[in-house]
Amino acid sequence: MKSNLNEMPNKTETTPDVPRQFQRNTLMKQPNYWIFAAVTLLMMAVPLFTSSNSVLFMLTNIFILGVFAMSYDLLLGYTGIISFGHAMFFGIGAYSMGLSLRFFDNAEAGVLVALAAAIVLCFIVSFFVGLLSLRLRDTFYALITLAVATIFLIAAEQWRSLTRGSDGFNFTADIPNNLFGFINLLDRQTVYYLGLVFIVAMFLIMRRFIYSPVGRTLQAIRENENRVASLGFNVLHYKLISNVVAGVIAGLAGIMYAFSIRFVNPHSVLGVELTIDVLLMTVIGGVGTLVGAIVGAGIIEISSHWLMGLRDVHPIFERWVILFGIIFILIVMFFPAGIVGTIRQKWKARRSSL
Amino acid sequence: MELHLTLIFNGIATGMLIFLLAAGLSLIFGLMSVLNFAHGALFMFGAYAGTYVYILLGGWAGGWSIFYFGLGLLAAAVIGIILGFIVERTTIRQVYGDHLRQILVTTGVMLVVMELVRVFWGSNVIQVGRPQVLDGRTEMMNVLFGHYRLFIIAFGVIVLVGMLIMLKKSKIGLVVRAGVENKEMVQALGINVRRVFTFVFIFGTTLACIGGFLWGPYQGQINPNMGMDLMLIAFIVVAIGGMGSVGGSAVAAILVGLSEAYMAYFFPPGALAVNMLIMAVVLLVKPTGLLGATR
Repeated sequence: MKSNLNEMPNKTETTPDVPRQFQRNTLMKQPNYWIFAAVTLLMMAVPLFTSSNSVLFMLTNIFILGVFAMSYDLLLGYTGIISFGHAMFFGIGAYSMGLSLRFFDNAEAGVLVALAAAIVLCFIVSFFVGLLSLRLRDTFYALITLAVATIFLIAAEQWRSLTRGSDGFNFTADIPNNLFGFINLLDRQTVYYLGLVFIVAMFLIMRRFIYSPVGRTLQAIRENENRVASLGFNVLHYKLISNVVAGVIAGLAGIMYAFSIRFVNPHSVLGVELTIDVLLMTVIGGVGTLVGAIVGAGIIEISSHWLMGLRDVHPIFERWVILFGIIFILIVMFFPAGIVGTIRQKWKARRSSL
Repeated sequence: MELHLTLIFNGIATGMLIFLLAAGLSLIFGLMSVLNFAHGALFMFGAYAGTYVYILLGGWAGGWSIFYFGLGLLAAAVIGIILGFIVERTTIRQVYGDHLRQILVTTGVMLVVMELVRVFWGSNVIQVGRPQVLDGRTEMMNVLFGHYRLFIIAFGVIVLVGMLIMLKKSKIGLVVRAGVENKEMVQALGINVRRVFTFVFIFGTTLACIGGFLWGPYQGQINPNMGMDLMLIAFIVVAIGGMGSVGGSAVAAILVGLSEAYMAYFFPPGALAVNMLIMAVVLLVKPTGLLGATR
């Protein structure tokens, strides 16, 4: 009789079917919710305290690269595959915006065409690259993405009549100052708020995606692919979905980057250096946490800027990547969850021990 | 006809250099499933270290230059042994068995080593000449055969034959071949596969460093981007030839070398695209590569 009681699950206290985050009545009680709201409000208030364009410019870039890093984390942290060609989607976005602003006289038409072109191109490229490489052993994905991205890089360098080769081109003069009648993209403050809206929207969308049934399945694939396959899931389909979502979001980030930086050249938006930067951001910030990707983007952007400023003190600071390389290796070896993930683990351990 | 003979000759020479880079990569992957992203950076470090010694001793002018060249080669090999040992022990060994983290760690090593090259030797292109003895050309059937290219082909063939004999005849070669086929079984038979892997890793790194050193006089220069460029080609070669197969790497390296030579003559920007196309076709038809073990 007693053993029977023990086997009965206690139905009244646990509701495993609905993730805690989606039980509406508990949403406001979540500390994460308040942190999210507070940080968003704080970021909205930043332009009130500073009119420095360089601060706003840097924060805007952190927002955009944060979205880029989050999209990368969908692959690395939530699906468990490493892409070495994620920069190509970013570059597709940035180049399509730059080119269409250059070629269209009508700003609205240019922006919409670039948006459509970037989404369609990123969709097609990520779909076919995924289809070719995800069927094979997992390491081939890293290899094939690297190779395809290099082809895009070479194309951008060689197709001089269109892309102006490795010098790239500046399109500040073509940036619309009256888009749809009210958006002045030449104003740093407007671009800043646009970037803030962008990162908040993308954060919520990706969060929704991660907690969706598809996202849950992806995390299960990351943990044990064979088991998910034997449960009857088509692993390739789910990995393809993740690849396409990450690719399209990276393309959107590239579009935003074009607004912020107003200049494209092959190595800054298409090079493997950018993919490695985003890899550093994701891993140092915390793999498998969207917030970690944003934190990583902030750390890398701010500290690289700061270290580059120190290069007059000693030329070694120009080689700041070496420092991040060492930190990166140490984090992969000893703190695989990254900064945010490790803090979160410690926090959970403390709360459960209380 | 002369044109094709020249292109084929150049292609085989390029292929042999690529083979030196790809053979180690292939064995490392075949044995432990480590996709070593640091391989290109190690190749570049070997190139810079060997060239540094070569130039420091006296460079390519004068009758003694072949001697300096030999010492540079030796220096590259020694650097390869040291670097291979350090990298395997300090990083790759720590994340053994976890593919994802192995790729991440080797990427970190790649970053550090590539930056170290820039710290030690700067970001500029360094001109490298061929030693006087190997600088000439011989004409045969209206085709000019460069001596340095002949030397590289001979060197590559010696390494290839040596590796094949070692794999077929020696005890360690037996373990490596068995490990590529079924690592767990070898481990179960009481053989320490990890120790063999350390050896293979050091061997692969040394070959890469030697290949890097030979690459300098071949191209006439070395630069800090060569590591990344050639690593991609080496990956393609390994994927075409089959992971873990030395013979496959050789066949694929020559194939890629030939396509590089032909594309360099007809349409240089398309070289990588053609190699990618070959890889895509091979992977679609036979995902294990041309001579890869079927698993």
